[in-house]
Amino acid sequence: MPEIPKTFGLLAEFDNTADVLHAAENVRDAGFRKWDVYMPFPIHGMDKAMGLKNSKVGWFGFLGGVTGYTTGMLMIWWMNAIDYPVLIGGKPMFSPHGAFPPSYELTILFTAFGAIGGMLFLNRLPRLHHPLLKHKRFALATHDKFFIVIETADPKYSEAETRKLLAAAGSQRIEMVEE
Amino acid sequence: MSQPDDFSNDDPTQARPLDLSKWRNLPGKLMLVGALVTVGGAIFSWRHDAMVSFGFFWLVAFMFFLSIGLGALFLVIIHHLFDAGWSVPMRRLNEHIATLLFPWLAILFIPVLVLAPKLYQWMQMTTAHTPDHALTAKAPLFTFTGFYVVAIACFGAWWMLSNRLRYWSLRQDETGAAQCTHKMRFYSYIGIWLFALTLTFGAIMWMKALQHQWFSTMYGVQYFAGSVWLTLITVYVITMLLDRQRVLSDVLHEHQYYFLGSLFFAFTVFYAYVSFSQYFIIWNANMPEETFWFVVREKGTWFLASLIIIFGHFFLPFLGLLRIDVKSNFRIMSFFCAWAWLMHFNDMCFNILPVRFPNGFPLHWLWLPLGIMALMGGFLADRFLKKFASAAPFPIKDPRLIEAMGLYHPVPTQISGGELDQTDTMHGSPVRPKGGH
Amino acid sequence: MSDAASQIAVPVPPKELERAPLVLNNRSFGWISDRVSAITEGKAPKWWWAAFIPSFTLLGVLGAMLFYQATTGVGVWGNHHPTMWGWDIINFVWWIGIGHAGTLISAILFLLRQRWRTGVNRAAEAMTIFAVMCAGIYPGMHVGRVWFDWWLFPIPTYQGLWPQFRSPLMWDVFAVSTYFTVSVLFWYVGLIPDLATLRDRAKSKIRQFLYGLGALGWTGSNRHWSNYEKAYLILAGVSTPLVLSVHSIVSLDFAVSQLPGWHTTIFPPYFVAGAVFSGFGMVLTLLIPLRSMCKLEDIITMRHVDVMCKVTLATGSIVGYAYAMEFFIAWYSGSAVERFAFINRAMGPYWWGYWIMVTCNVVVPQLFWFPKIRRSLLVVFVLSILVNVGMWFERFVIVVISLHREFLPSNWDYFKPTWVDIMTYLGTFGLFFTCFLLFMRFLPMIAVSEVKGVTAQADPHHPAAKGNGGGH
Repeated sequence: MPEIPKTFGLLAEFDNTADVLHAAENVRDAGFRKWDVYMPFPIHGMDKAMGLKNSKVGWFGFLGGVTGYTTGMLMIWWMNAIDYPVLIGGKPMFSPHGAFPPSYELTILFTAFGAIGGMLFLNRLPRLHHPLLKHKRFALATHDKFFIVIETADPKYSEAETRKLLAAAGSQRIEMVEE
Repeated sequence: MSQPDDFSNDDPTQARPLDLSKWRNLPGKLMLVGALVTVGGAIFSWRHDAMVSFGFFWLVAFMFFLSIGLGALFLVIIHHLFDAGWSVPMRRLNEHIATLLFPWLAILFIPVLVLAPKLYQWMQMTTAHTPDHALTAKAPLFTFTGFYVVAIACFGAWWMLSNRLRYWSLRQDETGAAQCTHKMRFYSYIGIWLFALTLTFGAIMWMKALQHQWFSTMYGVQYFAGSVWLTLITVYVITMLLDRQRVLSDVLHEHQYYFLGSLFFAFTVFYAYVSFSQYFIIWNANMPEETFWFVVREKGTWFLASLIIIFGHFFLPFLGLLRIDVKSNFRIMSFFCAWAWLMHFNDMCFNILPVRFPNGFPLHWLWLPLGIMALMGGFLADRFLKKFASAAPFPIKDPRLIEAMGLYHPVPTQISGGELDQTDTMHGSPVRPKGGH
Repeated sequence: MSDAASQIAVPVPPKELERAPLVLNNRSFGWISDRVSAITEGKAPKWWWAAFIPSFTLLGVLGAMLFYQATTGVGVWGNHHPTMWGWDIINFVWWIGIGHAGTLISAILFLLRQRWRTGVNRAAEAMTIFAVMCAGIYPGMHVGRVWFDWWLFPIPTYQGLWPQFRSPLMWDVFAVSTYFTVSVLFWYVGLIPDLATLRDRAKSKIRQFLYGLGALGWTGSNRHWSNYEKAYLILAGVSTPLVLSVHSIVSLDFAVSQLPGWHTTIFPPYFVAGAVFSGFGMVLTLLIPLRSMCKLEDIITMRHVDVMCKVTLATGSIVGYAYAMEFFIAWYSGSAVERFAFINRAMGPYWWGYWIMVTCNVVVPQLFWFPKIRRSLLVVFVLSILVNVGMWFERFVIVVISLHREFLPSNWDYFKPTWVDIMTYLGTFGLFFTCFLLFMRFLPMIAVSEVKGVTAQADPHHPAAKGNGGGH
């Protein structure tokens, strides 16, 4: 079945950080949900301007860290004190001192895994295809332009109204993005 | 401030100005009560054990307050070395605390000097002409002359540095000249070397020498770490109080609290790191000439004190301060200040007292060190307040003040690392955009 | 408070105390991506080949040496009784120390909000990874039978034996492999937005595909940035204790023993300071030529060089304090063997090694007190090399001088390296520089998105923001 190209959303381009920040505040205040700001580097205050909550990545990192430390301690205790105890240098079979350095390293390793895994999971990355990446002009989002995209899937979306809102927010260049 | 909601409810700028007038007499009262207890304790100790216990408790309190004096001196020096901007508003009070080192802390050192032959076993050996090998080996340093020379050198260096740094800072209040900044930097350049050496020698001669057979290269670093740790949180609370009294409010920005809190956190970790390394290396090598120091400290309630160091000195502040927003929450940070005082007191007791009380912490004597702490604390607080009242509350013409106030960002931040880093709208700011098209 | 602030007279810094901007000449966002990406696009310049061919040759030497050692046995090294640790451990510690500056720049300076780090962090992190690779070769070979290296990890075997976790060498395995993994991850996470930049400007299909693969579909969405920044912060937060622990654990290899000269409690922080010191030396050695070769003077400015010199000075001075403390406490301890170990360092048969170490690590960095020195690139370059010479000798002093005359005089001997030791060491430079040259040719050697973020126009509240930042 031949597919009719659907529209993904409305793409508004901005030239500088001050404009895009204010525009984002307007979009937020208008009550949109399915929208985003695209920019070559993070702008300060953008989370606030978009009304985003604090990222949850921290929890993934924390869980990773707890897992790492427990794994390390249990592994060393089981291997050196239970499964195959060998007396070395008169030291106890298991002591939290000697087991600390490797467990510490595993804490860090698993925290890093947790943080990166959490980031990728929350961002739904890696992703090989995105409607925006096909758009010619959008390539500048990693260069020197700033974009606000409001998706058609947003309940408040209406082409004319939304376009007006973005234009009023100061965008000189508003285009449709196809799915 | 643009985002009061970033803070918990006790944002100083939202609350009423704090009225501390009913606390005005607190240092005096502390001094009075402390003096009574101290004198009583001295008499009691004199009849009980010829002032030996008194000497030990005095040493605990002295090393405790020396920590704050040296910590403040370090913060001033490091401010200049790093060419820091954010810490300008607190520099003046650090300068005042640092000048307490001389003459006031030097005066408080006199009882240690007088009682030294009772405190230090090696001095008794010297007088009795029965030196052990560890003592003979340290010949020129571990003699009465050596002891006095070190004391004079330490207090001399601290006097020179704290005095000169404050002098040029006050000069800058009048002139605003860049030359004053250069002078302060010069004293910081030589200061950091003198500071490192004198602090190490102070810690060795006055604390480590209690058991002169023991040696550890980390000891000076450990005392340093604990001292700066304590000073940071103390400065945090003083800053906060001055902020609430509207003394520093004009020049503070949120980042001072965040940075002081983060540095306190960093030193929590640093202290744990050096203490653990010292213990761990000695534990592993298991050589009797080193382990005996720890063996003594595993007896009786000293074992408990060591657990307090692990869990109280490290884990509680570490876990408590992991979150970013906590570092700007004044209630929690005030709690941690009180906690840090308790922990550092425990740390000093753990280092000093087991020599005299090998069976555990002398709880029945607790009133005496607390009394001496009150005396010294009240006295030094009184001196500090007098100094503070005598000069502008912050370096009013410091060229970096504008950065501290958050009005001028040489460059905005990249990745925030938290909600506290947002730049202000810069109305009323004298900033000029650099360059242009 | 900003309202209140306008009521008091705010001093404007005098000219001589003004801070230099981090990106010079008011460069625009676009200029930054263009200039950095250009290094990876187009033909490789002649100087690149001139550097690459000898590096690659040396890499071949390394391969040959490793093959020779693996097939013949480590008896081809100069290590012999009583100096059972020789150049292998010296070079292991030396290389891994160099790596520490990269993590310091990327993690610790990030936590300290030192924004100048953005100009140098990518290259420094790459340096970390390649230095750790060079370091990893040595313990891998030192075990003797290379094909049993996997016994180092807790993998079940038919013997039912497990690694012995009371040994500091096992801690090393965990520390170094964690360090390598986390460094690579940290580096890669930082690269994602920049790989997207390269993807979006790629002219050829293959570049587009490969950079696209690396960029993982990054769009620059703020919802993504929000999580990304948090993850980056956590990585910085864990890399900081990690980098401190790695060299601390390396120092424990020595310090938990009972050998005079090795067993001393200050070793962990002293090793960390020394590592950062040598790493900054290497960063300066690499970046001073590169900034002019790649025309990056506006991004890696004189301010960056100045600050890095100061870090070198600070860490060099901490190292100086540790040397002094070691010597002092050896005397203070009254222990005859301790005292001998240190006198032997300064006046024994290897006295020259000790004094090279002291000169290069303590005396030479003191020159950085003088602004004139810090502003002369040539002098800084030479001094930065001396720093690493000094740090090599530090490890030589610790390893060889402590071992060659230990408790029993009948046990004493003089250590000399063999040609295999020397060629292997030179070979690791081949590995390091080959990797580094490939990195700078194919990946953005400056953190593009981060540098954009520290320009004045990136701050939406800054007056410069309105204009999308200046001209070209």
